[in-house]
Amino acid sequence: MQNPYEVIPAEIYEIIQESPLIRTLKFKPKKPIPFKTGQFIEVGIPGIGEGPFTPSSSHYIVDDMDVTIMKTGFLTEHIHKLQVGDLICIRGPFGSNYPLEKFKGKDVLILGGGCGLAPLRSLFLTMLHDHKDYNSITFLAGAKTPKDCIYKDEVTEWRKYDNVRFIRAVDEVPYGEHWEEDVCLVTKLLQKIDMKPDGNPAIVCGPPVMMKFGTYDLLNYGFKEENLYLSMEKKMYCGFGQCRHCVIGGYYACKDGPVFTYSMIKNEEAIWD
Amino acid sequence: MLVNILSFHNFLLKLRDSYHSFNQIIIPYRARSDDKNSFYFNEIKNEDHFRLNYYRTVDPVKILFYLFREKVYPTKNNHAKRIIIGVKACDLKALLLLDKALLQSGFIDPAYKYWRDNTLLISSDCDYLHETCSCNLLNGHPYAENGFDLNLSVIEDNYLIQLGSERSQEFIELMKKEINVAESTASDLEIVNANRKKVFNQLIEKNSDLKHHENFSAFRKVDHKIWEEVSKECVGCGACTNICPTCYCLILNDESKGNEFIKVRSYDSCQWNGYARVAGGGTPRPKMTERFRNRYLCKFDYMQKNFGEFGCTGCGRCTEACTAKIDFRKVVKTVSLMAQEVN
Repeated sequence: MQNPYEVIPAEIYEIIQESPLIRTLKFKPKKPIPFKTGQFIEVGIPGIGEGPFTPSSSHYIVDDMDVTIMKTGFLTEHIHKLQVGDLICIRGPFGSNYPLEKFKGKDVLILGGGCGLAPLRSLFLTMLHDHKDYNSITFLAGAKTPKDCIYKDEVTEWRKYDNVRFIRAVDEVPYGEHWEEDVCLVTKLLQKIDMKPDGNPAIVCGPPVMMKFGTYDLLNYGFKEENLYLSMEKKMYCGFGQCRHCVIGGYYACKDGPVFTYSMIKNEEAIWD
Repeated sequence: MLVNILSFHNFLLKLRDSYHSFNQIIIPYRARSDDKNSFYFNEIKNEDHFRLNYYRTVDPVKILFYLFREKVYPTKNNHAKRIIIGVKACDLKALLLLDKALLQSGFIDPAYKYWRDNTLLISSDCDYLHETCSCNLLNGHPYAENGFDLNLSVIEDNYLIQLGSERSQEFIELMKKEINVAESTASDLEIVNANRKKVFNQLIEKNSDLKHHENFSAFRKVDHKIWEEVSKECVGCGACTNICPTCYCLILNDESKGNEFIKVRSYDSCQWNGYARVAGGGTPRPKMTERFRNRYLCKFDYMQKNFGEFGCTGCGRCTEACTAKIDFRKVVKTVSLMAQEVN
C-alpha cells in the first residue's frame, strides 16, 4: 500500500534569484519523482510546513527538478531563506497534466504572467524536447517591470527554434530600467500575433486577474472553451482529494485539476478568486 | 440468534478480562448520572452503566476511526483488534461515505484503513429518539440495514442478533462458548420489525414540520439574501463540522524532528476564515455567509457529485452542537422551499 503522505527528501544544489521576489530552486530527490508536465508536487520544509508547487522543469528529466517560487506568505518566506545543501521534503506528483497528445500537430499558444510562468516553463521545455511534433509554439510571457522578468538567461536559447516564438511584454518600464521588447499588458500581445484559433489549444497561467481577462480575450478571439487549458491554483493541501480545501464546486483542484479546460469549470463559483 | 441481555453484557465484561484477540471494547455510556440523555463511547468498565439501545452518542463514531489528531507518516505497525458496540444506523451510513472518500477514491488513508480493518462493528436499533434525530428526512431509518458486522435488536429480555459480515464469526464462536444462544424464530423477527416500525413512525411524526424538498442541486441558485438570513446567527465556530460524522476535511502538520519526517493530520473546518486562504491572502469565501452556504452545498451537492451520496445522515449533531442554536433541518427546509421557487 502506497502511503500518500510519504515524504521524499531532496537536497537543493542550486538557487537562482530570478527576480526580487522569485527564486528557482534546483534539487535532487533521494528517489526519482516521475511526473507529467502540469502535475504538481508538495514542497515542504521539515518542521515548518508544505505547499503545492508545479515543477518548472521538463518532465523528461526525473532525477532532478526545478521549482520556481515567489515570496508571498509564511511558507515561501521560509523557502526563500533556504540555502544550497539544505534538505526539503517532497510529496507527489499529484493531479492532472497537460494533454500533450492533443497538442501534437497544432499551433499551440501559451499565455502566462508573473510567477505563472513556472508551470508553463515545464510545459514549454517538455514541448521543446519534441518541438517537431508541433506545428508551432507561441509563448507570450508577461511581467510587471523588466526586473520582474524571470528565466532571463534562457530566453536566447528558447528563441533558437524555427517553429517557436517567445514574446515578452512588461506592464511598465520604471525610470532607469532598460527594455527593448514590448510594453503592454500580456493579453494585448494577442493582437500582435497572427492568431489561428480554430481547434488550436491555448494554455493560460498567471495571477487570477490575468487569467480571467486572458481567458475572456481568448474566447473573444475564437478559441473554443474546450481548447482553453487553465492551471487553477487553489489551496491544494493534501494533494489527492481528501482535505477538500481546493474544491471548486464538485471538482477538486488537486485531483481533477490543476489543469482544467474552461468548459469544465466555467459554471463554478469563485474560480478567479 | 437470541441471547439474554444480562448474559450478553456479562460476556462483554468477561471478553475484556480474558485473553482473546480483541484487546479493546468500546461501548456507549451515560455521560453523567445527572445527565440521562447524553451518551459517550468509552472503554468498557466494570459497572454496568452502558446503554446499547437508546439513540446516537454525542460524538460520532468517526472520532474513533478518523482521529482528531493522528500521525499519518510514518505509520505504526501494530494489529490491535477492537470491538465497537452500540453504533447507530446514522453513523454506519457515515462510515460508508468515509470509506468512499478515504479508501475508494484512488488513494488510501493509511490510518483510517488501519482502524477500519481492525474494528468489529456491532450496531443496535434506536428505541428512543433524540430531539434532533432526523434520519427519516434523508432516506434513513433508526435501525441499521447494512454496514455492520453484527446488529442487536431488543426483544424484552433478549437481543436478537443479526449477522452482517463474515468477520462476525470469530465473535460468535467466542460468545457461543460462554453463554446460551437460542435460535430465533420468525415471530421474533416480526416483533423486531414491529418495534422498528413503531420508532420510525414516531420519528416521522416528530419531524412532520421539518420536511424539505428533494431539490438539492438547485441550492446553489438560491438568492444570497436567503443565505444571509439563515446564517445571521452563525458565529463560525466550526462545531458543526467537527462533530459531523461525514466531515473529514483535514490539515496536515509537519512535525518533523531532526532527521525524522513526521506528518500529523487533524480536523479543519470550512467554517473558518483561513480554511481556503492561499498564499498572498486570497480566499474564495471571505464572508461567513459564504462559508455557511458552502457547508450546505458540500453536503448536498458536491458530495453527491463526488460519491453519489448526500453528506448528511440526519444524526442531528450539528443542531445539538450549535452555539447559536441554528437548526440544520430548518435551514435545509427554508432553502429547499426557496430553491423550489427558483426552479
